[in-house]
Amino acid sequence: MSRSAFLDLARPSRRHWLGYLLLLPAVLLIGLIIAYPLFVSVDLSFQNVGIPRLDQPRRPFTTMNYERLFTSPEFWNASWTTLKLVVIVSFFCFLLGLGTALLVNNRFKGQSLARLLVALPWAVPEVVAVVVFAWIFDSSFGLMNWVFIRLGLVDTTISWFSSPEAAFAVVCVTMVWKGYPFVSIMMLAGLQSIPEDFYNAARVDGANAWQRLINITLPSLMPVLGVTLILVMLWVFRDFSIIYVMTGGGPLKATQTLSIMTYEQAFGFFKMGYASAIGVVTLIVCVIASRLLMGRAPENI
Amino acid sequence: MKRKLPAAALLYVTVIVTCALLVFPIYWLIVTALATPAELRALPPTFWPTAPRWGVFAEIIEQRPILLWLGNSVLAAAGAVTLSMLVSVLAGYSLSRFKVRGGQSLGLFILTAKMLPATLLVIPLFGIFRMTGMIGSLWSIILAHATLIVPFTTWMLKGYFDTIPRELEQAAMVDGCSPLGAMVRVILPVSAPGLAATALYGFVLSWSDYAYARTFLTNAQTNWTANLGLTTMKGEYVSNWADISAAALIVALPVLLIYLFLERYLVGGLTAGAEK
Repeated sequence: MSRSAFLDLARPSRRHWLGYLLLLPAVLLIGLIIAYPLFVSVDLSFQNVGIPRLDQPRRPFTTMNYERLFTSPEFWNASWTTLKLVVIVSFFCFLLGLGTALLVNNRFKGQSLARLLVALPWAVPEVVAVVVFAWIFDSSFGLMNWVFIRLGLVDTTISWFSSPEAAFAVVCVTMVWKGYPFVSIMMLAGLQSIPEDFYNAARVDGANAWQRLINITLPSLMPVLGVTLILVMLWVFRDFSIIYVMTGGGPLKATQTLSIMTYEQAFGFFKMGYASAIGVVTLIVCVIASRLLMGRAPENI
Repeated sequence: MKRKLPAAALLYVTVIVTCALLVFPIYWLIVTALATPAELRALPPTFWPTAPRWGVFAEIIEQRPILLWLGNSVLAAAGAVTLSMLVSVLAGYSLSRFKVRGGQSLGLFILTAKMLPATLLVIPLFGIFRMTGMIGSLWSIILAHATLIVPFTTWMLKGYFDTIPRELEQAAMVDGCSPLGAMVRVILPVSAPGLAATALYGFVLSWSDYAYARTFLTNAQTNWTANLGLTTMKGEYVSNWADISAAALIVALPVLLIYLFLERYLVGGLTAGAEK
């Protein structure tokens, strides 16, 4: 009899006791390395501080970092660059990701190899992708200049990394190549969960391939599409390595996003209070985006 | 049948052309690594190396402390993944099985933490590591990478445990296991594939980091990770693309191999949340 009481999973006391105990290590670790740093970050953004010394009393409260930030053309410039990058890169990631997913969702011999290859860039570290594209777009011996001249698009070589527009384009190309496989993987998973019966029924009704795509495939993909879109936009929004290693934010700040500006202010100029203020602005954007995500994928939570 | 043949051929051509174009940058990296200095400067470029320099990898390993960098990356990833898995296996199980007050808020916080930019957390972490004298040590990287990994692994594992029927634990407890014993002796062994996939995913996250390594390890050359070492080569060696490409290939190899052989597990973890 005593054993059956012990067995009772529904007995509140036991369930709670063990549940809390199991959560404890994660709560401690997350508190220490994520929640506390977040708090410090917000706190720093309200102080006039260069390099923080956390073991000393905090500086007086001030909103000067935010006042400086919102009146700084550099900040608005970086926001605009970030927005452009997010829109352009996400759009092409989607085009390429959805296209490749639809392509390899067809049945053919070698399908699994094609799936593997199509998503391969996902497994390439970002800095390695930068090395590849920095070389392809090299101004003297890069492949792209040769291709452009051969095609008759330009007559002289382009110095990709000295022109603001060209450098921005190269960053976009690199990010799309690194980012589209994720869309492809997610879309393929979504495509495979669409029942075959839908298509058979549509064929019986005489729908052609285009009509099937518009009326069945895309609507069925919508939930996955929404989640993936937010995740890709957030990835572009947050990215640091690709831009920093490729252009450092230049030339003439043409590729300076909010992430790059945060980092430059913090570790280039050692204005960490000011940098934290930019960081807090990016934090607010991320929180809003992740709330949107949760609204779209309730079962995921 | 006659009408189907051209459609099939068209499909094959499209697939082959698409794959070739998308994988071309990786091919080009290999060709560049194997090219002779003359081929690198030749126009039109050499698309198929006539005399591949297979020795380039051995040379670059001799000239540069690449093995040291790889070793550091492995240590950092092993430390960060071990730490993250320890806490997130327990937390994921708790979130999946128990109704804990505040559990949902914790879940939401973790989900938001997945979205945080590294450039935001790197500033306070710099302050904390400076105060504790950890700047330049691999411990700073292990903890910093845990900020990337823990939110992912906790959610992946919670999702994985959700797919395991509760009857398994109940049966174990009928046989006399304690709740903790049921988890350790029954649920964890059954979850081995999920645990492995999650750990691999954590490894990839750690291996791909550049921001934290750049910030905490730049002045500690002996602790450089593979990514950090590689970027310093890009900075100094503007002309020698063969060497940089060879190093880049070596750095990319572990994750590429994981992907090629264990794609199913990795991709399964990536899409697990989205399908449901």
